[in-house]
Amino acid sequence: MSSPIAINISNLTKHYLKEQNVALNNLNLEIVRGEVFGLLGPNGAGKTTLFSILCGLVKMNSGKVEIEGNDIITQMERIKKIIGIVPQDIALYPTLSAVENLQYFCRMHGIRKSEITSLIKWNLSLFGLLGVGKKPIEKYSGGMKRSINLIAGLLHDPGILLLDEPTVGLDVQNKRKIMSHLKDLNKKKQTTILYTSHDLEQAEIFCDRVGILNEGQLLIVGRPAELRNHFQAGSLEEVFVKVTQDQCR
Amino acid sequence: MIQRLWATLVKECQLLWRDRKGLVVLFVLPILLVFIMTLIQHEAYRSLNETGVPVLLINDDNGVLGQTIQRAFEDFELCSVTVYNDEQSSVKSSYVDLVASGEYVVAVHVPENATSVLRQDVKLIMDAITEDEKLDSTLLKQVEIEIVADPIARKSFIMAIGSGLREFIASVKTRILFEMMSTELNEISGNQNKLTFPAQDFFIFNEYYAVSGEDDVFAPNAVQHNIPAWAIFSIFFIIIPLGASIIKERENGLITRLRTLPGNYFSILSGKLLLFTIIGCIQMAIIVCIGLYILPQLGLPRLQLGSNLGAFTLLTIIVAISAVAYGLFLGTFFNSAPQASIFGGISVLIFSALGGIWVPLNIMPDIMQSISIVSPLNWSLKGFYALMIQNAGLSDILYCILMMLLFTAVMVCTSWFINVNRCLRA
Ligand SMILES: Nc1ncnc2c1ncn2[C@@H]1O[C@H](COP(=O)(O)OP(=O)(O)O)[C@@H](O)[C@H]1O
Ligand SMILES: [Mg+2]
Repeated sequence: MSSPIAINISNLTKHYLKEQNVALNNLNLEIVRGEVFGLLGPNGAGKTTLFSILCGLVKMNSGKVEIEGNDIITQMERIKKIIGIVPQDIALYPTLSAVENLQYFCRMHGIRKSEITSLIKWNLSLFGLLGVGKKPIEKYSGGMKRSINLIAGLLHDPGILLLDEPTVGLDVQNKRKIMSHLKDLNKKKQTTILYTSHDLEQAEIFCDRVGILNEGQLLIVGRPAELRNHFQAGSLEEVFVKVTQDQCR
Repeated sequence: MIQRLWATLVKECQLLWRDRKGLVVLFVLPILLVFIMTLIQHEAYRSLNETGVPVLLINDDNGVLGQTIQRAFEDFELCSVTVYNDEQSSVKSSYVDLVASGEYVVAVHVPENATSVLRQDVKLIMDAITEDEKLDSTLLKQVEIEIVADPIARKSFIMAIGSGLREFIASVKTRILFEMMSTELNEISGNQNKLTFPAQDFFIFNEYYAVSGEDDVFAPNAVQHNIPAWAIFSIFFIIIPLGASIIKERENGLITRLRTLPGNYFSILSGKLLLFTIIGCIQMAIIVCIGLYILPQLGLPRLQLGSNLGAFTLLTIIVAISAVAYGLFLGTFFNSAPQASIFGGISVLIFSALGGIWVPLNIMPDIMQSISIVSPLNWSLKGFYALMIQNAGLSDILYCILMMLLFTAVMVCTSWFINVNRCLRA
């Protein structure tokens, strides 16, 4: 616990075999323990690629990634216990009910039998889904699915949360519900949160720091307020437009 | 580890329970298949095995020849003979139709006075010999025995009957000749002791099935073939729901979550593989129960499992494991469930045709029989045949078991290789 860095990414490069463009180009980033970090960028920027590398799903071409001091290539089993993930796609069994899905993931995380039921109940009630827990996921609305997708990543009480576009495609109410829950978690348990999004407005509200990713390059990192000041912009959106224009020139 | 395996098993059961189509493929189709195929093939097998080929004999002759032919047919176990004689003239006119309609495979008509015609001929010959005259062959009459055969009957079978009849006639001729000669000799010698013709037949049919074991051999019949055959087929059809289920888990974000669960991905897959192995064994159990308890109710012979139940169970488990390994390979190799289902389904159909599931191998052309060794379904079926028909033991099916274990190993290793590479490629 000496170093305050939760995730340390250095010189990370990734290019997919058939793609000529690099998906991630010499990326350097440090996520501080206990912060909410928003990785922002348009579609195709490389956000999911970074997320997948952090989860150990995709191998990088070069560079080094450490999560709580554990190397991502050699110590993935230890990392799995630390991180909680919420993928961009709904990662749930569509024909099983919310409770059945969550039960399965609880058991796979080795959570004790006696705790499972109450843990699931508590989480469902947080999102107001206690009444519909027995319905199959495929019958849920988009917002409900996202909520369960989120809960499934939180069950084992991870110290670091990785979320890939957790609120994509949701209406404002559902977005707020999910983001404020994450913020609560961050406040109460000091959970480190790294989430990706292309919603700049939302990031401005919730993030301690943001990074702007475009075409595989991390253009700029900083606190939203600092960035606005630095670029003399009224919002992150303006900042974003300015940096990406610079890149184009 | 055990907890996680158990958790996956529970989840897979829930998934399967919700997948009604999968359940139909796994349990309803096999049962239907067994019933339909067994009942269809039962007729064909029965005509060959238990009751024999249905033969209609119209015996209009009142003499020895008619009797001899009738007795020979009755003694010949491969035939079941129905005899009509003089009085039932209505049948006589329509026996060609009866064969045409498929009720009988062969009809044999022995004409009126056949024996007396034969007797006259023999007498002419006798006279020629004893009186040292030249034989006037135009005086000899011929006995016309008609054989009406179903066009689908095997040529060899018809020929056998034809040559059999020729031999009967010859033997009856010899007998008549013998009797006449003995009467003549008695007249000459004044001997009162009538010589009798040796009563035993000149030829005996000995039918038996080629099997290795000496005792407790069960005749191959529709049940003995179809129960193992369709059980194997059903077990291998597991690949469709199994492959689809592996692919579905990979298609959406689920794989991301599964791969970040503690433990490696194969250990998570193993719960699924275990469930499908169990399902394969349940399928076999259900189908065997049908053979033991339900088919006999429908008038079919009862299934004989052989005396080696341990080997039977082991073979079942190994068949299920190799089917699951094949499903694992399909689910890993293909990227979409329909692709895997189509390829998998067709490959199992081909393997099953090659393996002798549809039509027993021994009646296939030689070339097919030699190709069949590439089919895992063939190794399975051979194993069950050995246990259920030849009443063999574990040591006799070792070859089958080894082949299937080899197949399993190849499938699992290939899947492993694809999985590791997929991760690197992505
Ligand atoms: N599996 C893959 N194979 C090949 N190219 C990919 C793959 N996944 C993503 N890419 C490419 O990498 C780039 C970044 O994609 P991605 O990380 O999904 O972006 P984002 O999540 O920010 O929208 C895109 O150009 C995309 O086409
Ligand atoms: Mg993405």
